[in-house]
Amino acid sequence: MTIALATAPSEPSMAQPPLLMEIFGFTKTYSRQPALAEVSFSVSAGEILGLIGPNGAGKTTLLEAIAGLLPVDDGRVLWRTTLLPVWRRRELIFYLPDGLRPWDDQYVQRLLEFFAAVYGKSEIEVKETASAIGLAPVLGKRVNALSKGFARRLMLGLALLTPHPVLLMDEPFDGFDLRQTREVMGLLRQVAANGRTLVLAIHQLADAERICDRFVLLADGRVCGIGTLADLRVKTAMPAAGLEEVFLALT
Amino acid sequence: MRSPERGIPSRAPLGPLLTKELWQVIASRALWTMLLLVCPLIGYSYFQAVSLYGEASAAGQQSPVLATSLSPLDGISVPTFGAAYVAVTLLFPFVAIRVLGHEKETGALRLLVQLPYRVSTLITAKFAAVLAAWLIVSTPVLSSLVIWKLSGGHLSAAETSNLVAGHLLYGLLVGAIGLFAASVSESSATAAIVALAFTIGSWVLDFTIAGQPGFLEWIARLSLTQVLRPFEQGLLPVGTIVGVVAAICGFLTLAGVWLPPGHSVKTKIVRSAGCVVTVALGVLIASRIGFGIDVAEDRRNSFSVADERALAGLTEPLVLTVHLTPEDPRYQDLRRNVLAKLQRAMSNVTIRLASGRQSFARTDDDRYGEIEIAYGPRSDTTRSTSPREILPMLYALAGAEPPVQIPGAEYPGYPLIADERPALAWYFGALPVLIVFAWWWSRRPPHINKARTAKEAAL
Repeated sequence: MTIALATAPSEPSMAQPPLLMEIFGFTKTYSRQPALAEVSFSVSAGEILGLIGPNGAGKTTLLEAIAGLLPVDDGRVLWRTTLLPVWRRRELIFYLPDGLRPWDDQYVQRLLEFFAAVYGKSEIEVKETASAIGLAPVLGKRVNALSKGFARRLMLGLALLTPHPVLLMDEPFDGFDLRQTREVMGLLRQVAANGRTLVLAIHQLADAERICDRFVLLADGRVCGIGTLADLRVKTAMPAAGLEEVFLALT
Repeated sequence: MRSPERGIPSRAPLGPLLTKELWQVIASRALWTMLLLVCPLIGYSYFQAVSLYGEASAAGQQSPVLATSLSPLDGISVPTFGAAYVAVTLLFPFVAIRVLGHEKETGALRLLVQLPYRVSTLITAKFAAVLAAWLIVSTPVLSSLVIWKLSGGHLSAAETSNLVAGHLLYGLLVGAIGLFAASVSESSATAAIVALAFTIGSWVLDFTIAGQPGFLEWIARLSLTQVLRPFEQGLLPVGTIVGVVAAICGFLTLAGVWLPPGHSVKTKIVRSAGCVVTVALGVLIASRIGFGIDVAEDRRNSFSVADERALAGLTEPLVLTVHLTPEDPRYQDLRRNVLAKLQRAMSNVTIRLASGRQSFARTDDDRYGEIEIAYGPRSDTTRSTSPREILPMLYALAGAEPPVQIPGAEYPGYPLIADERPALAWYFGALPVLIVFAWWWSRRPPHINKARTAKEAAL
């Protein structure tokens, strides 16, 4: 399976991947109830960063705020040290919401063709994408007739047809069984290897541990820890712990 | 603006977006349901109109004088399009709301606003979809013109086009309201309530406060139904067109203000206030434009050609002081038959209402009912509201001879006893079947070459 869809800029070979995007002080309250409290972190080019936290931790709110789809009380995004205003974020960041069945009365083929036409992709690229994510059997089906797994694959397909260097994905493995999850993880690793940066909001810690390079642990809208699993083990003084134990220790 | 990353388009071609919007409209059950409901409504109205016109024509064919009052615009087109007006008022908001509301409800809007299109482009594409929807749902009423023509009926191109243009403007206005309602509402049900508040609210205005004096009269003029009246009278009203276009632009701008999910409610309210003020100014300016072009074949909105030529030669200021209240039926007659025509024929006409905007009940003035005509230094008074009285007085004041009427310029009238039964077969049989067939056709899956797909994927 070959994915050659990413068009992220080529970077010089360095020991440490270059810093791509920095998130500073994201704060959001709903009726005096804090949803995000000064959340800050950074992400490098080609990295897979996991936003980890239980339901209600603020993962979706954070992703929507970064994408500019949710007004925030405070917070800014730096792109390679330059301030990235809200109205320009869609040029660099594409956000894939959770649980969507977009344009559900349309055929899968038509939606893929629409996204491809918007971003100037060829018919061959549409077919490659459909084939890579296993959508070929349902191209002639309407979106509202798809199973949960195929609906998730469609969303993934749409995201892969975009050329944005950063993809924000909310619960990308929700709706997949174990085998499908492993397939999609392999696909996402290939996407990241081609230079795109992935920020994944995941509440299944086992899935997150398998795919993410680094983690941002969130609880009640606050950052409880940032780093690789090794960094977090050092921080918690639990050298043999898995992500689950580390997360419980830090939150 | 150039994207900071190479290869990331900051703008995308419009074609795919328009194609997507068109597919969305065609996939809408609301559209096809409306189309099916409109068929019998239009069919019955057309059947009734042809039947009544035929009865009147029976007398008209015996007498040329009676025939002059037989206009297909009044007898056929306006009643048939009137049924379409009811359908557009009550049903078209649901079609327009779906163009945006469905994406909002399913969350697709969150993907749409991330695509490289400006908000104004998204709204324009959706408005284009509303226009396409109006054209589709207008198929039955437009087909009535073809049936009438095939029955041997007469249609004036200018006045029929004008009537269609009026209904198009009205449909687009209702569509723009639907888009605005969908944009500000979280659900399609709420959007429907908002949109119907405008359309049915207009009927309430018509029934309750139309004909009332003063401020209430001005409020009643904001009714959407007022948009169609001049078009139905064979008039191309420039002021109305400017006002409706301003209102459409206003509703679309408001829809654009409320569309992006990333802006705070406070920001949206501030921008909306600016938009409302701008549009209100535009509508106010438009209401001051009284200019209109008479496109009626029977020239009902103009004096005869000879009178128009003679009046155009009177260049001194003409001041008409009317001692009537605006809601008095005599004033309505005077306004329609004399004042509006004079304003179109002469360049320097001033009309004054001596009674101001006081209530009809307080008209105990002895001069009530008088019309004072002042042309240059000379003036005269009459109580007649007929042009047959007023025009000779005006010529006398100007020291001009009344013009000799041009023979053969009178409207002949078009009596016709047509067979209405083919229309019944069309509206209650053939057209619904064609609509169902088109619905089925639109739901076919796109062609996918599975063998080719597998081969290319393997390569």
